[in-house]
Amino acid sequence: MTLPSLTPLTSEPVHAPSGPPLLEASGITVRFGGVTAVKNISLAVRPGEILGLIGPNGAGKTTLFNALTGFVRASEGRVTFDGRDITHAQPQVRAKMGMARTFQVERPFEDLSVLENVLVAAFLKHRGRAAENHAYDVLERVGLADRAAQPASQLNLARRRRLELAKALALEPRVLFLDESIAGLNPPGQQEMVALIRTLAQSGLGIVMVEHIMHVIMSLSDHVICMAFGELLAEGDPHDVAAHPDVIRAYLGDDHD
Amino acid sequence: MDSAQLTAFTQTLAQGLLTGGLYALIGTGLSLIFGVMKVINFAHGDFLAIGMFITLALFRAFHLDPYLSLLVAAPVGFALGYAIQRFVLARLGDRLSEASMLATLGLGLIISNTLLLTFGAQPQNINVPYAIQTVQLGGVQLSIPLIVAGLGTLASIGGLNYLLYRTELGRAIRATAQNPLGAELQGVKTTNIQAIVFGLGVAFAAIAGVLLMPLLYAFPTVGENYTTKAFIVTVLGGLGNLPGAVVGGLVLGGIESLGAFYISNNYRDAYGLVAFLLVLLLKPEGLFGKTVKRV
Amino acid sequence: MTASVTPARPRALTFGNVWISLALIAVMAVYPLLFGKSMNFGVSTLIFAGLAMSWNLLGGWAGQTSLGHAALLGIGAYTMTILATPERVPAFLGGPLAPWWGALIGMALAALLALVWGSLTFRLRGSYFTLSTIAVALVIRLVAINSDWTGGSEGLFMPELPRFLGLDLFDRQAEYWLAFAFVILTLIITHAVRRSRLGYALQAVREDEDGARALGIDPTRMKVIAFVISAVLTALGGSLYAIYLQAFEPHTLLELPISVQIALMAIIGGRGSIQGPAIGAILLAVFGEVFRTVFANANLLIYGVLILAVTLYAPDGITGLFTRGGRKLGTAR
Repeated sequence: MTLPSLTPLTSEPVHAPSGPPLLEASGITVRFGGVTAVKNISLAVRPGEILGLIGPNGAGKTTLFNALTGFVRASEGRVTFDGRDITHAQPQVRAKMGMARTFQVERPFEDLSVLENVLVAAFLKHRGRAAENHAYDVLERVGLADRAAQPASQLNLARRRRLELAKALALEPRVLFLDESIAGLNPPGQQEMVALIRTLAQSGLGIVMVEHIMHVIMSLSDHVICMAFGELLAEGDPHDVAAHPDVIRAYLGDDHD
Repeated sequence: MDSAQLTAFTQTLAQGLLTGGLYALIGTGLSLIFGVMKVINFAHGDFLAIGMFITLALFRAFHLDPYLSLLVAAPVGFALGYAIQRFVLARLGDRLSEASMLATLGLGLIISNTLLLTFGAQPQNINVPYAIQTVQLGGVQLSIPLIVAGLGTLASIGGLNYLLYRTELGRAIRATAQNPLGAELQGVKTTNIQAIVFGLGVAFAAIAGVLLMPLLYAFPTVGENYTTKAFIVTVLGGLGNLPGAVVGGLVLGGIESLGAFYISNNYRDAYGLVAFLLVLLLKPEGLFGKTVKRV
Repeated sequence: MTASVTPARPRALTFGNVWISLALIAVMAVYPLLFGKSMNFGVSTLIFAGLAMSWNLLGGWAGQTSLGHAALLGIGAYTMTILATPERVPAFLGGPLAPWWGALIGMALAALLALVWGSLTFRLRGSYFTLSTIAVALVIRLVAINSDWTGGSEGLFMPELPRFLGLDLFDRQAEYWLAFAFVILTLIITHAVRRSRLGYALQAVREDEDGARALGIDPTRMKVIAFVISAVLTALGGSLYAIYLQAFEPHTLLELPISVQIALMAIIGGRGSIQGPAIGAILLAVFGEVFRTVFANANLLIYGVLILAVTLYAPDGITGLFTRGGRKLGTAR
C-alpha cells in the first residue's frame, strides 16, 4: 500500500546538517482550557537541517509552531536555542536571537510597500541606508526586487508568500520556521520555492517546515515528525515515516490533499 | 464605632448608593450600547445634559413638574439616539470601533455647544418645593429627589430587564449582540435593532438627566463629567455587562460618598477615577470577570 | 537569476515630503510681516500646531488615541512656572530657576510620566488606553486644583523672567519666534521618525502587532518610546504656552476639552500625513477666528462638526483628501 499523494523522490537531500542542535525542544505540551493541542513533543534542529512537520488537519502542527516561536505559551516542556533556555521568551526576543517565522495566512503590512515590509525586518540588524540595501538584497534573493515599490496589498498569492519569506530572511535568522509556504502555489511556483528552501539550508540555516504536500516534505526534509491529534505518531527518516502504518492510516483516514 | 458615627456612616452610604443608582442608570445605557455594537459612546453625558435642559425648558415655559418631563425627555432621547445610529454611526461600516469614538466625541461637542448657544453658559436650576425636603428612613435622612431618582432607576432597569429577557424584541437584541451576522440570517433586521439599542441607551441617559435636574444645576458642559462617570461605571462592571453596570454604579456612588466624607470632599471625583484605573490595569474585564452573563 | 545589471532601486527610506514642510515654514515666517498686529493669534496658533504635531507621534504613528495630553501640557506649564517663581520654588534649589531649566525639568517629568503610564497601559488593547488617558489627566487636574504648591484653583501667575538669548520673553514677537522654533522642532522630529527604524516599527505595530513581533519588534516598547517623545514635546509646548498666557488656572489648562482640542486638530488635519496635524491646527484656528463673533465661546462646535465630517467622509483627514493614492503614513483603522 502506498500513499496516494506520494510521488517518487526526484532527488535526495544534498545539504549536510552539521554540528550540535541549534534549537531543541523537549516535552512540549500545549493546553487550551481542557483541550490538549500538543502533547509531549520533542525535536531538535541542527544548522543546515530541514525538519519536516506533517500530520492531518488539526494535528497541532501550527500550535507547536506557535509554541516554538513564542506566540503560544507552552504548558509544559522546555525550549532552548543555542544552549539558552527560551521557554518563556517573547516572540520578539526569539526573533532577535535568530529565529524567524512565516505565517500560514501571510500577513504583509498592507499600508507599506513591498520594500518597506522587508525594511521593517531589515532594521533588526542594520541601520539606515544599510538596512535598505539589505532589504533590496533579500528581495533580489526571493525574486521580488522588481516589485519593491509596489504596495504589498497588491501582490498575488505567490508573491505574498515570497514577501513573507523575504521578511523572515531579512532578520538574518539561524533557524527558519516555514508554515505552509508551498501549499496553494501552482507547480512552477512550488518548484521555485523548493529550490529556494534547499539553497537556504545549504547556506547553513536550520529549517522547520510545516507542509501539507507530502512529496515536497519528503524530498526536502532530513528528518520528519508526523503528528496526529497533538501527539507524535512517527518520526525519523522521511522514507521510514512515509512507510509507517500509523502514518498511512492517519492520512487515509483524513481528507488528504 | 459609637451610634453617632454609625448613623453618619449609614447616612453617607445611603446617599452614596442612591447617587450610585443614577450612575448605574447612566452606565447601563452606555454598557448596553457597547454590548450590542462595541461602540463607546463619548456623547453619553451630553445626552444626559439634553434630558436636563428639556426639563429646564419645560419648567420655564409651562411650569411643568420636572418628573413629568420624563414623558417628553425619554421619547425625545430615544428618537435622537435612533436617528444618530441609523443615519450617522451606521455609515461608518467596518471602521466602527475606532471611528465611532471620534464620531460620538464630535456629536458630544455639537450637543454641548448648541446647548451653550441656546441656553448660555450660566448654571441654571429649577425651584420645586420638594427639592429641599427630606424624609426620615430608619434614622437616615434622605432628600426626596434622591429617593425619586433611586425609584426611577429601579423602574428603568427593571423595565430594561423585562424588555431584554421577556420580549421578542429583547431576544432580537440579544441575538444581535452575540452574533450580528447570525441574527441577520435568522431574519432579525440588525440595523433597526442597533438603532433601537442606541435609542434605548440615549433614552436612559436622558431619563437620568431628568432625575438629576431637581438636584443639580444644569450647564451646557455638565455632560462631560457624566460621560466620565459612565466610563467608570462600565469599566468597573465590565464593558457590555449590564448587571455589572448596576453594581458598578452602586460601587462608584458608595466610594465617592464615603471617600468624600472620610478622606476629603475635594477629591470626590478622584476616588472613582483611581478605582477605574486600578480595574483597568489589574482586571480589565471588570470586577466580575467574564463569567457573568452579558447583554 | 542573472543580475548582471543592478536595476535602479527606488528609495523607500526618505524623510517624506519635505517640500510641504518648507512651504509651511515659509508661511509661518512671513506671517509676522503681514499680520504684525495679530501676534496673539499667531503665537497661540503655532503653539497648538506644535502640540498637534507632538500628539500625532503617539496618536498617528503609534495609533494610540490620547485624550489626556492636557496633563502633559500642564506638567510643562506648571513645572516651569513653579520653578521660576521665588515664593514657590522648592527651598533645596536655592532660588528660582531660569525658564529654560524649568522647561527641561518639565520635559523630564513628562517623559517619566509617559514611561510609567505607557508601560502600564499599552499592555491593554483597543480603547482602554484612551479611557486611561482621560482618567489620568482628570486625576492630575484634581491634584492641581486641590494643592497649595500648584496655586490651587486660582492657578499661577508668571513671575519676572530673565531674558532668553537676549529675547524678552513677554514680547509677543519673541514668543512668536519661539513658537515658530517649536513647530520646526516637531516637524524635524516627525521627519526623522518617518525615516527611522522607530517609524517603520510603529507602522508595523499599528497594522499587525503579532506580525511585528515576529520581526523582532516589541510593540509595547515602541509605543512607549513614541509616547515619551510625544510627552516631552508636549511639555515643552506647555512651558511656551504658560509664557504666552502669563497666568493660567487648572480650569482652563487641564480640562478635558484642551486634550480633545489637541487630538481633534491632529485628526481633522490628517494623522496620516506628516504635516497634517499642523495644518489642521492652523485651519481650525483660522475657522475659530472667522466665526468668533458668531459662536463666541461655543467655538468647539466647529471641531464637533468637522470631526464628524472627517470620520464620515475623509478618514485620512483634510490633508488625506489631497494625498489619496500617494504615499501616506497610513491611518489606524
